[in-house]
Amino acid sequence: MKAKIGIYVCECGPNIGETIDIPRVLETIPALEGYEDVELVPKSFGLLCSPAGKEYLAKEITDNGFTHLVVAACSPRDHNSTFIGVCKEAGLNPYLYKIINIREHCGWIIHDKEAATDKAIQYIRSGISRVLYQSELFERQLEITPDVLVIGGGIAGMEAALSLASHDRKVYLAEKTGELGGKAARFASLLPRQGRGADVIREKIKAVEENEHIRVHLNTELESSIGFLGNFEVVLAGNGDDEKTDLKVGAIIIATGYRMSDPGSFTGYEYADTDEVYSSLEIERMNGGEGIALRSGAKPASVALIHCVGRQEKGYCSRICCNYMMKIAGYFKKQSGATKVTEFFFDMCLPHKADQEFFDHSVGLGIDFKRVKEIGLSGTSVEFAETGGGKQKMDFDMVVLASAMEPSEDTEALAGLLEIDLDERGFFKEAHQTTDPVATSIDGIFVVGASQGPRGVSDSMLLAQATAGRIRCQLKPGGKIVPEVKVSEIMEAYCTGCRTCLEVCGYGAIYFDDQKGISIVNEAVCRGCGNCFGSCPSGALRTKHFTNKQLYREVTEALK
Amino acid sequence: MDKEFTPRIAAILCQWCSYTGADLAGTSRLQYPTSIIAMKVMCSSRVDPVLLLKAYLSGSDGVLLGGCHPGDCHYEVGNYHTRRRFAILKAVFDTLGLESARLKLSWISASEGPKFAQVANDYTEEIKKMGENPSKKKMFL
Repeated sequence: MKAKIGIYVCECGPNIGETIDIPRVLETIPALEGYEDVELVPKSFGLLCSPAGKEYLAKEITDNGFTHLVVAACSPRDHNSTFIGVCKEAGLNPYLYKIINIREHCGWIIHDKEAATDKAIQYIRSGISRVLYQSELFERQLEITPDVLVIGGGIAGMEAALSLASHDRKVYLAEKTGELGGKAARFASLLPRQGRGADVIREKIKAVEENEHIRVHLNTELESSIGFLGNFEVVLAGNGDDEKTDLKVGAIIIATGYRMSDPGSFTGYEYADTDEVYSSLEIERMNGGEGIALRSGAKPASVALIHCVGRQEKGYCSRICCNYMMKIAGYFKKQSGATKVTEFFFDMCLPHKADQEFFDHSVGLGIDFKRVKEIGLSGTSVEFAETGGGKQKMDFDMVVLASAMEPSEDTEALAGLLEIDLDERGFFKEAHQTTDPVATSIDGIFVVGASQGPRGVSDSMLLAQATAGRIRCQLKPGGKIVPEVKVSEIMEAYCTGCRTCLEVCGYGAIYFDDQKGISIVNEAVCRGCGNCFGSCPSGALRTKHFTNKQLYREVTEALK
Repeated sequence: MDKEFTPRIAAILCQWCSYTGADLAGTSRLQYPTSIIAMKVMCSSRVDPVLLLKAYLSGSDGVLLGGCHPGDCHYEVGNYHTRRRFAILKAVFDTLGLESARLKLSWISASEGPKFAQVANDYTEEIKKMGENPSKKKMFL
């Protein structure tokens, strides 16, 4: 069948109408050299993206029986999807259409109308030659599972589970230890101004346990996971027994939290087990039990609270220490108002709106804050230099260290298992720190709480709730997902099985077929970037809708 | 030369950053020469050396490849691979005695309309000084 290509130039009001000589474009197109076997039908219209324009274009496609369509208009970012919709409505496979950007890339960048028109013709010719080599592609709809696996039963994991659990979806909550609650369950007071911290956590635990849509798997870890958004097949394994659970879930939330780095491992803080030096978590435990006391059982009369331990080595601020050290100072003051409390810090971090007030309150309690530029420990003697001051030494009965939060111990293994990235600090890496903070490099895998970076209970809960919202929008019960169509494929006959593509793929979308000895693309996971294509030494890869033929035609015609 | 030489420069741009940067140059009504002929790919890492060679051998006086800034790739690491492959192609050009300055790799983000226009202007000037792509004149390989 002879190809018949509709070429529609949108005037875009004056944007193209006045910057490009459209009549000359329409005149030139039918006379293009090399297209004698093709019927070219060039027309123009006022505003193709308007309701009238869309209706007109759809009717034109149907009435003329176009085999291909070229729309010369604005940036594809503006209206590519609009015209894809028109194609679909008119029964033309949208992969046989191409938008040509003659507004941003021609009319708007050259004052000289003639030059802009020449360039527009060049672009349109290149587009015509490209569409002739484009092939029909078909979108697939895949069934999804709306259920979710949450890894980690701390405050972030529990909150995510509770926010997700509803009559239409199930949540599997895998916790590696024997109990829910995580580290926050040990805190006597959850936030500076909430006295009954542990009670709040206990209520959450109870709510999770009683929720009929949440199934809790204690002493359980993730063993394997394959799949993609909407369709993950995971295996959970008991860490004390051989019990295995196979699950199908649509999304996975990582909420594995953090661990406190060992303060004694940082230069200047080496201390012996017999010294009266404690970590903040140890103080929390004492405060929740018999009260905070020295090894002799006596209450300390003077305490040094040292912030920012390990901050320099780690290269980041742990964000919550300033607040919880003031909270701990409060424990001491409550125990005995006479306790002399001194806090040493490098930089004060007060990120939340109520933090300043809490700081002022702590100053009011008589706590002495010292901003230092260097500090070291010798037993319970603190050697330091305040900013702008010389070296000093003070002796204390007890020292408490706020050491840096670091990724929990199984972070690396879990990242390897799920094939997602870690950042340079070792935490799980979000898709985008600012604009996509709970997603990861793999669609359908999310990361919340302190497993993503230092943060406290309230921020962890916030991320958990946000993620639950994201998942509820993305995975609707009975809904379907349409995977990317412009994906890579491997031509079996050419693949030598070198596995280079497996190395470069950032999404785990290529796997190796041991039987055939070749690489295979999992099209449901592939994002279509084409990096594998760029890496393939044997020319076995093809990127759909961006094939060599298509790109070669486009570039050679544009350069004519 | 009887009239001023207007180069043709094929600009292969990733759709997330550089192509969007070029769009922004247009939206901001920044002026740059008609020499730049933009085409879009999903990621700069799709561009294997052969596509750049194809552009060069098709008479492109300069070939510009645009990607996201290192660390900002929409596909995480694509542009790091691009950078390595590009360096190899440059080395091949030098080895064969071709002008590797006719190949340019530039990182242009979606918000860098002015940078796109700047690169387009500067590179056009540079290519103007170099003159026509010699592959247009004769079989040289």
